[in-house]
Amino acid sequence: MRGLAATFRNALAEVRSNRASFVSQISVMVLNDIVWVFFWVLFFRRVGSVRGWDGRNILLLLSVLTAAGGIALGVLANARRIGTMAVDGQLDAVLALPVPPLAHVLLRRVEATNVGDLVFGVVLFLSAGSPTPARAAVFVFAVAAASVLLTAFLVLAGSLAFFAGRNEAGELGFHAMIVLGAYPIDIFAGAAKVLLYTAVPAAFVSSVPARLIEDFDAGSAACLVAVAGVFAFAASASFTLGLRRYTSGSVWTR
Amino acid sequence: MTRRRWPGVTARTAALRVVAERGGMGVTLVFYVLVVVVLASLWRVAVGANGGNVAGYGAAAITWYVVTTEATVIALNNRLIADTGRDIGSGAVAVELLRPASVLGVRVFSELGRCLPRLVACAVVGGVLALVTAGAPPRPATLALAAPSLVLAVACNIVAQHAFAATAFWLRDAGSAWFLYQKLIFILGGMLIPLEALPGWLERTASLLPFRAMSYAPARLASGHLEPVLLVQQVGWLVVLVGLAGAAFRAGERRLQVVGG
Repeated sequence: MRGLAATFRNALAEVRSNRASFVSQISVMVLNDIVWVFFWVLFFRRVGSVRGWDGRNILLLLSVLTAAGGIALGVLANARRIGTMAVDGQLDAVLALPVPPLAHVLLRRVEATNVGDLVFGVVLFLSAGSPTPARAAVFVFAVAAASVLLTAFLVLAGSLAFFAGRNEAGELGFHAMIVLGAYPIDIFAGAAKVLLYTAVPAAFVSSVPARLIEDFDAGSAACLVAVAGVFAFAASASFTLGLRRYTSGSVWTR
Repeated sequence: MTRRRWPGVTARTAALRVVAERGGMGVTLVFYVLVVVVLASLWRVAVGANGGNVAGYGAAAITWYVVTTEATVIALNNRLIADTGRDIGSGAVAVELLRPASVLGVRVFSELGRCLPRLVACAVVGGVLALVTAGAPPRPATLALAAPSLVLAVACNIVAQHAFAATAFWLRDAGSAWFLYQKLIFILGGMLIPLEALPGWLERTASLLPFRAMSYAPARLASGHLEPVLLVQQVGWLVVLVGLAGAAFRAGERRLQVVGG
């Protein structure tokens, strides 16, 4: 654990070493997220509510998604790069260290731009999510579960590259989760909705957590934890199995 | 390569490279379908909840609108500003000055060549998707105008991104500017929301800016609105943007200093 903690401290120190760049990258992402808020405000002002979702709900959804995305893509930035690292043979440096490889890879790199998402998500919840101690506690729980699920899904999709030799699945998995998670689940119907609760569990990354904050339900919360747990196990197993097929690229990387 | 032939050769070579790279094309198309399905579903639900009409668009019209706007954006390299800015900032662009052709011209035609196969593929897939999910276009004849408008839209976008990226000649980095540029297209270009659905002041602002030529114009035509003036506006904006990008690159090339070069 000490090794992993030191790894993470180094990653944080590295990203903060150029303070001006760190701040500007965070600011750009915050501005980007504000544009999405602006879009949703314009949208709901024009159309009223859509299948039970209105401007207030969608801002909650956005706060959970951006905060969870900030953790998965910013704090654990390599989650999105597992497939690329596997295909390009960039894992040599990790395998030589006396630490769990997956945990080390995930903690090794922090992406400042996506840390902006995390900052934005928290600020959005505090400003538009009607925070009370109870709602804040559910927000923290929901973001934690959603970020575990999102990270696990990215690792799982990226690990397919160990077996396929290409990383298209990882890229598509990433885009699918981010695109599908950014919209309320109730605009979908039939097979698409089933897909979003199962194979591409985008519903559990945004819509379900947002509903939990609005109206907490122990069954849904347990379901969210269970899905996150299943995907975390699958991600860890697929990465471990994939490492057996890993071929070195003689590349020393971070 | 003669002076007369280089644009065509550059574009064709880039296009063939994209066509040969099937994996990349596949990812682009799957991503396109994903975004179109989501956004079109959202708008159709909204139209349904509003008596079958939002800002003058019915379910079929809004679906054709969405498949068109998304094609104009997804067919492009969305990090073009960052990539071009990096080449300028690092001095790598200096090598291109040795060619007997304009740096900007080669880059624009090369990007256009890369984009066109993806644009055609997205337009075809999008058309099928719209037919299946929402039915025939409200006014099929307008598709004949939407086709050239699509090409003009990506041309305007590519040239504008180069004009934007040229700031790297002075700032040495176009950094994350692409992120913000993209968002201007999202709202002021009408990609996420038809301009008619914006509040009046924002719609008027959008009408004064070039972003509407990059996404809204072909989508408006494809959604059944017979407004040929949109094509004229696109050509006008293309001329202006080429002038701006050309001036910026000429000034930048004069200023270019390559460390260790």
